[in-house]
Amino acid sequence: MPSEKEKSKVHKLSLKGSSKIVSEFFDYSINTILFQRGVYPAEDFTAVKKYGLTMMVSADDQVKAYIKKIMSQLSKWMQSSKISKLVIVITDKDSGEHVERWQFDVQIFNKSAKTKSSKSAPDKENSAQGIADAPPEKTEQEIQSEIQSIFRQITASVTFLPMLDGNCTFNVLVYADADSDVPIEWGDSDAKEIKNGEKVQLRSFSTSNHRVDTLVSYRLGD
Amino acid sequence: MASITISTPHKSYGSKVFSTKLAGGRLPLTSSPKPPSPQVESIHVPSPPPSTPRPRRSILTTSPRHAGEGLPASPFTLLPTSAIRPKPRMRKIYGKTDRFIPNRRVDEAPIRTVRTPRATSSKQPPSVLAGAAYGLSLEALSLDDDDDDNTSSHNTPQSKPSPNTTAYQSSLASACDLGPTRILAFQPKAPEPSRPIDLRSVYNRPLIPRARGAQHRRRIATAPERVLDAPGLVDDYYLNVLDWSRGNQIAIGLDRQVYIWSAETGTVENLLEASEDTYIASVKWSNDGAHLGVGLGTGEVQIWDVEDQTKIRSMNGHEERVGVMGWNKHLLSTGDRKGQVFNHDVRIRQHKIAELASHTLEVCGLEWRADGARLATGGNDNLVSIWDARKLDAPQHRKTNHNAAVKALAWCPWRNNLLATGGGSADGKIHFWNSTEGTRVDTIDTKSPVTGLHWSQHHKEIMSTGGFPNNSLTVWTYPELVKSFEVGAHEARILHSSMSPDGTVLATAGPDESMKFWKIGEGTKGGERGTGLGKKEAGEGDRSGMAGQLVIR
Repeated sequence: MPSEKEKSKVHKLSLKGSSKIVSEFFDYSINTILFQRGVYPAEDFTAVKKYGLTMMVSADDQVKAYIKKIMSQLSKWMQSSKISKLVIVITDKDSGEHVERWQFDVQIFNKSAKTKSSKSAPDKENSAQGIADAPPEKTEQEIQSEIQSIFRQITASVTFLPMLDGNCTFNVLVYADADSDVPIEWGDSDAKEIKNGEKVQLRSFSTSNHRVDTLVSYRLGD
Repeated sequence: MASITISTPHKSYGSKVFSTKLAGGRLPLTSSPKPPSPQVESIHVPSPPPSTPRPRRSILTTSPRHAGEGLPASPFTLLPTSAIRPKPRMRKIYGKTDRFIPNRRVDEAPIRTVRTPRATSSKQPPSVLAGAAYGLSLEALSLDDDDDDNTSSHNTPQSKPSPNTTAYQSSLASACDLGPTRILAFQPKAPEPSRPIDLRSVYNRPLIPRARGAQHRRRIATAPERVLDAPGLVDDYYLNVLDWSRGNQIAIGLDRQVYIWSAETGTVENLLEASEDTYIASVKWSNDGAHLGVGLGTGEVQIWDVEDQTKIRSMNGHEERVGVMGWNKHLLSTGDRKGQVFNHDVRIRQHKIAELASHTLEVCGLEWRADGARLATGGNDNLVSIWDARKLDAPQHRKTNHNAAVKALAWCPWRNNLLATGGGSADGKIHFWNSTEGTRVDTIDTKSPVTGLHWSQHHKEIMSTGGFPNNSLTVWTYPELVKSFEVGAHEARILHSSMSPDGTVLATAGPDESMKFWKIGEGTKGGERGTGLGKKEAGEGDRSGMAGQLVIR
């Protein structure tokens, strides 16, 4: 794994290092979404500095352990490039209805050659196919500022997302390759799409190996 | 690119109201300016050739939501070429619509249904509706879909499959149920939130993060109210030589002497001096504050009348030093270095009435419950024993969860069967017990030896005193167990601590040979506040009938 110093110059990350950035991004995304959308009470979060922003991360032991379990498996999958999407679904506890769905699409550049078109085509953004070749190298700074913009957008999105009543829970889904190793805690699921949902595409960020697109879909108010 | 032709005329209206008459009359080819939803759909459905680079945006441009965006072109320029349509303009329009729906895919029905009511219902352009509510946020979001627009209008057919192709493929894939990716869900349920959530607390969050919890509704001074010298205080964890009486007097054992410091008058008296071969190992006031039990290094237990400064009696029986004592009315319980606990009836000649055997090493913590029905003892054998006062031949519960000596014990004043115990250096944990069931209710890891525990009389809080590394006095809320206040109190570990009878001041003593007074709470009764240590209000539990103000100096 490249050291921090190396990274800071020109961003020439191994797949492993890039996966780490992406996994870390997911970790903070989950925490941010849980906080911003009020899945857990605000008092349960503490502020940490990350990406040049003040990020809220859960301080609740149970939630922390839960996210950690997810993340440990996720980073394994990331490193073996098994994942094409990570989805956080917020579900109303009373009705069981999915009210919000945060989707992070992951593209892996050097893997795109072997992806079968039938696989990525239906779900990828339309723009995805055009830029499968590796983008120019980026500095750590550039990546960080891209990630920063995403978190700013996630934070800003509370202004247009419908109010959640607070009685919600969340689920994490991944779209993994069919040949992935699946631990016992993970099981097949439907996509938990939102019926009649509105979608908003947020920003993306990319490293030399990955590109992550962010999309939120939500149930429209009545 | 017929669709673009269509779009031009009604865009051109400077006025924000769309006129169907004008548009329809002038342009026979135009779609109805109020495009009903079927029409929008009809654009999607045909166009079978998969490679057609139909720009998706044409769907949007037929929509009347863009009408009246104040575009400069005259209503009569009917130029159909895409070259006329300036791309920047398109972008701008985009940003001002109320909802941004980039990357819509044809195969998703929801989008159509979402759009339909909007298109038909808007007599006035939606931008009016939207601008106020959403314009700002979406501007800030600055969606990066613009790039998509460019590429799509640049006729790069091979780079992008037609939406219909993707729709077809996705429906085919789902029909055959052979997606090459699996959707996996993390099965365990997400933990329940610790308390009900009020989202207003998120959205109305102050810019400066609020100090956590409710504890900061009151202030706790971070500096001691008063510091007294305590020369010769023996640096021994297992002793208990500080106690604050009901009568607002503090007894402290300094090496061989016992001093009484009156919190009312600030006067100090030397109550006794032990013989040269021993030292004071423990002091404990009787519940009425009139008598003081003194445990000596030799194992002798003395009872003193403080007012008369006379020794009432000596009780022998222990073979080693008596490091801890506790009163329950006329009963005095004493614990010694060998792990034995005796109950003495101080009124009768044969004072020893019970031997409580459970500890194998020195007993250093001993606490009667306020009603006298239970006794808790803690020892150097890491054991906590809970005794039923009616049945002293064996402990009711023996708890071995601590990994170090248990000196700190405290019964909860508002929940009778709740006991808090704190372990020493190797442990550093505070365990909360249900003494009826003998079950552990909660645990705090203080990461520092716990030398004393005191429940607050006025708040749902418990105070702990500690040692390395911070030698701090900590206030925890209960049952949330949130650390609400912490101050590094001494330069070395806090050995002894005792609460004032009104529950507002905690006295601490440490091997830095000082005794400090910490104002940790206000009395619940009104009256003077913040007047410093000079004036204290008597707590309601003050049994000695000292009403009104107690002046400590």
